Amino acid sequence: MSPSHSPRKLNLVGSRIRELRKGKHLTQTELSDRIGIAQSDLSRMEQGEYKVGLDTLFKILQVFDLKMGEFFGETESPSEPETRELVKDFRELSGDARREVRDFVRFKKMQEQEQPQEEKPAPEWTGGPSGEKTS
Amino acid sequence: MSDRRKHLEFLRKTAREAIWAGDYERALTLYDDGLSLARSWKDHDLEDLFTCNRATTLIEMDRRDFDLSKLKEILLRSPSSYNGALAAYVSANAHEARGEYGRALFYAQTALTKSREMRLEELTGTSLNLLANLELHESRFEAARDLFQEAVERLESQGESLSRQAAVATDNLGYCHIALDRVEVGLPLVHRSLSVLDSLGARQAMDYPALDLCFAHVKLARLDEAENWGIRALGLGKEFGRQDVVKNAHYLLAETYSDMGRPTEANEQYEALASYYPDFPALKHYLHQISLMEVINLRA
Repeated sequence: MSPSHSPRKLNLVGSRIRELRKGKHLTQTELSDRIGIAQSDLSRMEQGEYKVGLDTLFKILQVFDLKMGEFFGETESPSEPETRELVKDFRELSGDARREVRDFVRFKKMQEQEQPQEEKPAPEWTGGPSGEKTS
Repeated sequence: MSDRRKHLEFLRKTAREAIWAGDYERALTLYDDGLSLARSWKDHDLEDLFTCNRATTLIEMDRRDFDLSKLKEILLRSPSSYNGALAAYVSANAHEARGEYGRALFYAQTALTKSREMRLEELTGTSLNLLANLELHESRFEAARDLFQEAVERLESQGESLSRQAAVATDNLGYCHIALDRVEVGLPLVHRSLSVLDSLGARQAMDYPALDLCFAHVKLARLDEAENWGIRALGLGKEFGRQDVVKNAHYLLAETYSDMGRPTEANEQYEALASYYPDFPALKHYLHQISLMEVINLRA
């Protein structure tokens, strides 16, 4: 069986740790102090020569306190798998379909802004460019 | 050999078998009995020997309620004896268990030097295995591999009675090869180790081989095999209270299920792992999206 069923994950590698550390404006000494390893070992880790146990790896993730977008090197990226999949699907749509989705999102936002309490009736969705009801 | 010595040697042999079978409480009782007898007979050699053996058992049990300075005293008092070399070896193990790797390295090297000088093949082999483990902890995989190789050769040359220790060193050697991406070399070694341990009924030593096989099969994307070995490692880790094995098994199983496209099972494993880190609530979400397979060291 091949591992192709699951969405691909980002591999944590030494060079990414270096980038993230620099992004957080931490020196090797500062980061190594916070995760409890020697500075020389962190240096080896960033060069891909040093592997550590789960406890240390989790400390690294915790110190960086990342939004997933930062981890994936994107300027803006959603953290929820469901949202990431939604963005991926959106990017595959045609221009008209994208506009329709954007209209629907605007409608849902407006609906939530206008009706924070349950007693107000919900505005009705009249559909996108095609006029088709979506919900 | 006097009757007294024969009796104590029998106690040691029985205690050692109890350790191999994972019955540490029984081993500890036997060593306590032997220590009391040696003291009552004022046999200082045997007292030192049982002091070392008892400490080894406590270390295996993750207990620290023994006097480490007593071991150092034996080393200083009898530097050129078997007991001195053994005390150095046990001291190294004690420091390793406490995470004092620099000190562990010093005492392991001392044990190796002394056991080599006295041509104590078994202790030379186990000291090499310990030194290699310390190298592995520092991610020096090539250096560890060479030391494990020598340890295996030394221990295998000692015949059947030592095959359990040889099997443990063989598994460690196999893991080194797997971590160095020479899975095809490492896999047969780990299988051989597991087979020997199984035949000896040394279940408590089978957790790491099972974990290593899971790791290797994840690397090879042989996911059904990875699942089988991961479940076995998890069971053994829980049975013998090995938290490091349990956590690594949860992680590897989660990666396996994730790669298999079985998100529910993957999530269960991530949740089980995350439960060990209550101050890191976002951990599970990270693990769903980030693979640590390239940076993980199962022996660190």
